[in-house]
Amino acid sequence: MSYFKVNENCNGCLACVQNCPACALSYEDEAVSRTLRHNMTLCARCGQCWRVCPQDAIEFQHLLQSAWDDVVTLDIVRCSVCDEVLYTDAYGEHVQERLQKEVEPRCPKHQEEFSRLARAHFQTEKKA
Amino acid sequence: MIVAELKPLKEIAASVAEYRKILVLGCGSCVTVCLSGGERETQQLTRELLRSGLFGGKLPVFESGTVIRQCEKDLVETYQQVPPDTEAILSLACGCGVQTVADTFEPLPVIPALNTTFYGASNEAGVWREVCQGCGDCVLSHTGSICPVARCAKSLFNGPCGGSQNGRCEIFTDNPCAWAMIYYRLKKQNKLHLLHEVHAPRDWQPAGGAGPRVRIRTGIGGSPQK
Repeated sequence: MSYFKVNENCNGCLACVQNCPACALSYEDEAVSRTLRHNMTLCARCGQCWRVCPQDAIEFQHLLQSAWDDVVTLDIVRCSVCDEVLYTDAYGEHVQERLQKEVEPRCPKHQEEFSRLARAHFQTEKKA
Repeated sequence: MIVAELKPLKEIAASVAEYRKILVLGCGSCVTVCLSGGERETQQLTRELLRSGLFGGKLPVFESGTVIRQCEKDLVETYQQVPPDTEAILSLACGCGVQTVADTFEPLPVIPALNTTFYGASNEAGVWREVCQGCGDCVLSHTGSICPVARCAKSLFNGPCGGSQNGRCEIFTDNPCAWAMIYYRLKKQNKLHLLHEVHAPRDWQPAGGAGPRVRIRTGIGGSPQK
């Protein structure tokens, strides 16, 4: 995902590279071409490149507003009764390990119902 | 934003002359943005120290690097290594960064390369002006968002002094009179009545008169394990 974008006015003068206070811009010259490079982890988004560019070629808005990048996708566990999303597989395993027992996936509402039924059943059995 | 400026080269050289191996450490935040202590200035300072001739033949070994923010200890201690045999760190951060790095790597000496000056704003490229002094009791809602603490030479709260001439400050004649600016701003906002409001005498303790200040925000989780 590239946040640093230039428009067709860029003529490769390297003013931005020379003026970047974070050294977050560089370039590579090969046989017949020059490539402008940007490092988002060094970039402070200070805007100096945008200010100094003699060609107004830098589209600074992309450093300010951009699309979301997917970071990680994990399997999720849903309530066994109503399908509501509860937690991820990994989180469920983590909690069950700490609890040292298996837990049936139920949302708070259906867990409460279940507990109530279990208590009622237990009391009936006790009376019997 | 915190604004700082590079100290004179002679002063910097003198403050590190006794060390044989120095890490020159820039900061990727405020001082990068005000063009005083970022990676570019760090490299430049290292070069200038090397060829300055100010070490009388006993030239130290310099290494350099930049941390995204020197003012956060967990970040610094997790992500910044100090090369072996380093005898001192020359920090291009603001005073907050210098001190945090010193706390992180103590007892290693951490020397400031910058003079930290003020909280600044930039209305034109390359120019930062002091507009806030962190007084801890903001009155900008009464003054059309123009600060009488920072921008009036006398930090007056009741309007201009008798020396305000043609909208200029009598003390620092290059500066506009803050209260003239406040008047004209409130006029544009149709809020001149705010100047008639009577406020209680100001308590200046939040402005630092009661010692170093602290902000504590709970419930955000602890520092990550190294």
